Amino acid sequence: MVELRNPRKASKATKMEANGETASLKKRKREPKEETTTTTTTASQKRQRSKPQTTQPAANGTADDTLNSHESSTLFENKDQQTTNGDLELTDASNDLTTRNTSAWKVSNPMGGRMLDIDPIFSLDERFLLVTYNTSIQVYSTDDSLLVRRIAVPVTKLDSGAELSSPHIVASALSASSPDFLWVACSDGRIWHLNWTTGEGAETPFTIDVKKVLDMTLEAVDIRDKQEDVLFILQKLTKSSAQIVAYDLKGLQKKTGKLIHTYDENPQLLRSAAGGRLIVAAAKETLHIGTLKSKGKTVKAVDDLEYAFHSFGVPDLVTCVDIRPTLHTTKKGGVEIQAVDLVIGGARGAIYVYGDLLSKLPGNNTKAGPIQPRKLHWHRRAVHSVKWSEDGNYLISGGAETVLVLWQLDTGKREFLPHLSATIENIVVSPKGSSYALHLDDNSTMVLSTAEMKPTTYISGIQSLVLSDKPSKESLVRRVWKSVDDISTPLITTSNPTNPSQIFLCVGNGQQASSTGSAPSTPLLQVFDVSSFQGVNKHAIARTNPTDANMTSQGAPIVEPRVTKMAFSHDGKWLASVDEWQPPERDLEPLLTGSKNTCQVSRERREIYLKFWEVEAEDSSLQLVSRINEAHFTTEAETILDVVSDPVSSRFASLGTDGVVRFWSPKLRRKDGLASTGPEGQQLRTWSCSRAVELPAYGQLEEAVEVSPKSPRSGALAFSEDGSVLFAAYGPSSGAAVAVIDTATGAIRDTISNLTRGMIRGVEALSSSLIILSEELTVYDIVSDEVQYSFALKETSAVAKQMTHLAVNRESRSFAVAAPIPNSNQDKLKKGAKSELVVFSLDDEMPQLIQTFPQVITAVLPATNSAGFVAVDSAAQVWSITESGEQAQMLQPLADINMEESASAVAPTNLAVEDGEASDEEMQDADEDVEMEDDDYDVHQAVVAPQKLAEIFNAAPAFAMAPIEDIFYQVAGLFSTRPSTI
Amino acid sequence: MAAEVQPLATLKLPTVVSPITAEQRYWKSFKNQKSHTSTAAWPISHISFPGSSNGSAASHSLVAAAKANDLFAVTSGPRVDIFSIRKRELLKTIGRFDSEAHSGEIRADGRVLVAGEDSGKMQVFDVGTGTRAVILKTWHTHKQPVWVTKWSPAELTTLMSCSDDKTVRLWDLPSNGPTHMFSGHQDYVRSGAFMPDRNNLLVSGSYDSTVRVWDARAPGGSVLTFKHADPIEEVLPLPGGTTLLAATGSAISVLDLVAAKPLRLITNHQKTVTTLSLASNGRRVVSGSLDGHVKVFETTNWNVVAGSKYPSPILSLSVISAGAGHEDRHLAVGMQSGVLSLRTRLSGATAEKARARATEDKLMVEGATSKLAKIDSAKAKRKRNAASNKSMALLGENVDVIIPTDATNSAGGRKRRVKLKPWQRDFREGRYASCLDAVLDFSSPEYQPVTALSVLVALRHRSALREALEGRDEVTVLPLLKWVIKYISDPRYSTVCVDVAFQLFDIYSEYVGGSTELADQFAVMTGKVSREVEKAQMAIITNGMVESLMIGGAEASA
Repeated sequence: MVELRNPRKASKATKMEANGETASLKKRKREPKEETTTTTTTASQKRQRSKPQTTQPAANGTADDTLNSHESSTLFENKDQQTTNGDLELTDASNDLTTRNTSAWKVSNPMGGRMLDIDPIFSLDERFLLVTYNTSIQVYSTDDSLLVRRIAVPVTKLDSGAELSSPHIVASALSASSPDFLWVACSDGRIWHLNWTTGEGAETPFTIDVKKVLDMTLEAVDIRDKQEDVLFILQKLTKSSAQIVAYDLKGLQKKTGKLIHTYDENPQLLRSAAGGRLIVAAAKETLHIGTLKSKGKTVKAVDDLEYAFHSFGVPDLVTCVDIRPTLHTTKKGGVEIQAVDLVIGGARGAIYVYGDLLSKLPGNNTKAGPIQPRKLHWHRRAVHSVKWSEDGNYLISGGAETVLVLWQLDTGKREFLPHLSATIENIVVSPKGSSYALHLDDNSTMVLSTAEMKPTTYISGIQSLVLSDKPSKESLVRRVWKSVDDISTPLITTSNPTNPSQIFLCVGNGQQASSTGSAPSTPLLQVFDVSSFQGVNKHAIARTNPTDANMTSQGAPIVEPRVTKMAFSHDGKWLASVDEWQPPERDLEPLLTGSKNTCQVSRERREIYLKFWEVEAEDSSLQLVSRINEAHFTTEAETILDVVSDPVSSRFASLGTDGVVRFWSPKLRRKDGLASTGPEGQQLRTWSCSRAVELPAYGQLEEAVEVSPKSPRSGALAFSEDGSVLFAAYGPSSGAAVAVIDTATGAIRDTISNLTRGMIRGVEALSSSLIILSEELTVYDIVSDEVQYSFALKETSAVAKQMTHLAVNRESRSFAVAAPIPNSNQDKLKKGAKSELVVFSLDDEMPQLIQTFPQVITAVLPATNSAGFVAVDSAAQVWSITESGEQAQMLQPLADINMEESASAVAPTNLAVEDGEASDEEMQDADEDVEMEDDDYDVHQAVVAPQKLAEIFNAAPAFAMAPIEDIFYQVAGLFSTRPSTI
Repeated sequence: MAAEVQPLATLKLPTVVSPITAEQRYWKSFKNQKSHTSTAAWPISHISFPGSSNGSAASHSLVAAAKANDLFAVTSGPRVDIFSIRKRELLKTIGRFDSEAHSGEIRADGRVLVAGEDSGKMQVFDVGTGTRAVILKTWHTHKQPVWVTKWSPAELTTLMSCSDDKTVRLWDLPSNGPTHMFSGHQDYVRSGAFMPDRNNLLVSGSYDSTVRVWDARAPGGSVLTFKHADPIEEVLPLPGGTTLLAATGSAISVLDLVAAKPLRLITNHQKTVTTLSLASNGRRVVSGSLDGHVKVFETTNWNVVAGSKYPSPILSLSVISAGAGHEDRHLAVGMQSGVLSLRTRLSGATAEKARARATEDKLMVEGATSKLAKIDSAKAKRKRNAASNKSMALLGENVDVIIPTDATNSAGGRKRRVKLKPWQRDFREGRYASCLDAVLDFSSPEYQPVTALSVLVALRHRSALREALEGRDEVTVLPLLKWVIKYISDPRYSTVCVDVAFQLFDIYSEYVGGSTELADQFAVMTGKVSREVEKAQMAIITNGMVESLMIGGAEASA
């Protein structure tokens, strides 16, 4: 019905031209309407948009793209040459973030990130925990789990994006000689020497010339009777050979190091101990043990370091190594290694303990017999981490079973701390041995006290899937499943309209657990507070099995459902979620009948649930109210394409691939005609379909195009701002139509076709405009019935299409479009893919902001109660995009901002009570000490190890006991000091 | 942090529309059919039992009242049989009629019975004494067959009669002539009744297709006349006294006496409706028709809520109530073939149970049980605390401060760990086959189909279905097969059952040759599935026909 585009109106709909690389929209000005018709072909093409022949300009577009990709200036000259690949993907190679601001929009620094599979580091006094993230080092206080400092490490360089393996942090270590410093090694040879108490040093890395840094350890070596940091770096030579090179500070400056050992095997890990007297390098199934040869002699320089290496085979692929050296002082005053106990974890689940290894090694490189380790096997899958306890009597190990295992070595007994939330990645024993730090795969780190096995510190970051740098330890051994290493589905996020500081993300049980199926499973809802930057809690909104075995007896992982849609009602009291599950195809062989393939059989058995949750106001906990099993159903459960909430009433609308829009509304739950009440007498509600509106099939609208009923459909829904109209875009990719549904009567008032091209990726309504994102971005005015403007997006891969986002902020009357930048080398979104986000104002077809992000944006959502957007990227970082005219930050001040503010307020008093910190004077800003000094003994319960009490009471026999008064003061002193400073 | 182990949650099945409504269940519960063929297979023309409306008020003695409540009269040919309600047995036969008898009615006190006759004679018999009935009174006033004789519900000595001589008369038992005579009908009067609670109002239905209401105080013509299209076979006033049902041809018309207008025409029968009866204390109306159907109507919107089919045209029926609450006891249907069918609803123990459930329901609605439960739990908690403190007291002889164990529990808000049942532990520890065996044990007191379904669904979710089904012998596979066969037709179970069936066929089809039991069960399953397929096809065909009709109708209206 809507013949929108008569030529005059159509000319209004200018298109941005495209350029994959360098086109800039900054200088473009809006041309007078007459000039838009200079290039006749494109103009006519524009006019004829209503006719279904939009494929031809696309072909033109690609040609133009190849021609003009490096000639941005010419493009600007005839900017109205409307190449249809007018894109939103603009990159700049110069710096980290490319910003082309035409207005006052700006992008904040990213927050968050993903904790890497690198041991977290305790500061020497155990008051801080240094966690290595993928793009930063973050310092947390162990007393209150608060973020003290975030030191951004510029790992990703935009110009290196062409490389397939992008640089990533491989190791971090606390400086042994000056404990305020941290060494961080990057895979491309950059080494940072950071002062973690101030955050200095992130801009000036040392660079060494290597192919690839694989691992790094650090030791304080006595050089000229002075302790100096020496870095041992495991670097890759060829595919199957590596060398260990030692550097000191001077060597780093000169880029020259001392070659210590070269070996022709697949290198894995490098560990060192005892002040550089021992180096252990693990290849796949071999260990190389290097002992310092320069006995007795003093080492004058790094070049004097000489090692004798022995190698022997181990029974399994090494995933982790821990060394426990026993030192003793010689008569001359020197230090020697007395014994070395070594433990390795295997990729097949066994732990091998080599007690007193050095004595078993052959003396002078003569080949000795096989060294027999002690084997401890409990883990079913790879041991991700194994560590010696402080006293050497215990081993602590963890892996994908989510169980922390404590092995008592003397008796062989095991103790378990089961049902942790995700795969245990790293275990660190604190310097004093009083606590363990566990890094779990759900992007969290906790500190457990060894005495009670209760967490004293818990740090939980955004748990969204990331593109990881290193393959997981699980993948060392071939498994019956294949893990996903790309991001194919957008992160489902939403924000609670009543609580602007919280965002809700659908996540899985850790990165590895959720990427085992064909698509990532995301059964959990993480509530994340962006003001404190901590995960608040997690709810299971689909089936999950945290306490059961997470694999079948055949070794395949158990596939959990995936949440595909989520929406809050306008008052934040209800949450609607959609989850999908289909049995893995490997289970379906016996069910094949006729000509069906496993894919179809699996599809038939899909379980798609629409769930309605009641949100508790205080703690945003969820209670399942109704579950609709087959909300959209034909002969099988149909995918629910979109769920939206009515902006004025408690009502949701859903659209499925059966082409029906269903309205869902709550009603009082009744039992035998009486309203049933909950335990507190509150009225219970239940949700049911109040109306179903069948959308007109595309074939009925336009006879010209024959669409097979099996062709995939796409669709999206949007309520108008007053809730009176629902826009439902639905149809096959060959042409979808937008139906305008009166929400009061359910009548279809209008059907607008030809607004889209290809799959529909999003529809939003903003005042009288309808914003439709398909392969084109179209802004259509409903009242005047014309297209205001329209841009074509560049052709991208199917996955990239999935990852295109559209978000509308009603406050600023603007909308944001984010999409991965097309990369012809990658058909999947893997490491190195970038995204671009473009912010438009409704009235202006010129983008307000074009911003390139170094990672793929997985979700964009409008900020609640403010005029901005929040974006989450594939490195689990959160970016806020704000209009800088706005004073109030869209997000609540992020943790570091918060820290700065409170620091300046409380700093003077803190300095006075400062204790135990080595360098008081250096800390002019004193910001990181605020949280830890702001101590509250009522809140933080003292953790007193029982042996400390025993020490006091068993110091002497009862008759020789100290006066009772003294004992009282000792005990009181024990409880009044913080455990870390005991 | 560390999540607690939860037992496998039982699935909550959607509440489907049950194919059998509660009402249908109620009427199905009239079982234990007892047939009684009348002498010489005379058609059963009338069944009645003493009206319950004023029985108690008029009772002279307890014995008589009890006895009165225990009798009903069945008129067939030239006889009236008197049955015991309680024993469902023939007590006495009154055969002292010269021609065909009509409308044998026992008075509310159960002592006398009145009946009309084709000869026009009306006789009153003594019921109570002896096996041989004594004629107490005879009227010869009517010259044409008398079709209706009825006792007044209000006065013991008043009765009415309707006759083919087109008149309706009121009689007083001692007098020899009618006290009132109402004439106005143009044809045979074949039905009539006293209006309840209105002593002076009578209603009659005639073959002149009119229903007329007569007032004893207003001599002359009828006070109200309803004209129908077909002869009136039966009239039935509803207890309120304002609504009247009249069987006219194959329809039943609902007439409002206050507004003096017809309310509705119920057209559910295919042939002439011959008889109407009240049931369930006047909340239901049961109709019988020559098409052999008995239909039960609710009295607000007159929808059919239940029905059944009898082998022969129905001439008379009555829902006989008994007991203090006048609960429906028997459904007595008299047929053209001379068969009296008595279907009885089990009372006593079952009724007792149902009543207990109803009170429980009521309490639950009022929240009394939750209060009760609260009190119970508080009591239990006190007991527990006392016990734990006691044990602590025993333990700490020299201890100054006793820290109760419950304090930590309540502070942590942690509940006592749920003890897993054996099958739940089996499930958790991966012994899926034994878990499945446990939940499929039909003999177990804890057996519930939904538990088995939950386990099967969980097995499917955990990709362990095949593992649980594999490696069984004939003995252990049969319960599984039987379960699948039983539930494969339930739409809530069918998806899982189909998967299990596929797997079973895949695993065990090679052993069919060796085991007849297995082969039988597989055959039964195949049969059941093919029946379901047939049903589905029928449904599709029906749906297609209805749709085409609808389209046709829409086009016609357009």
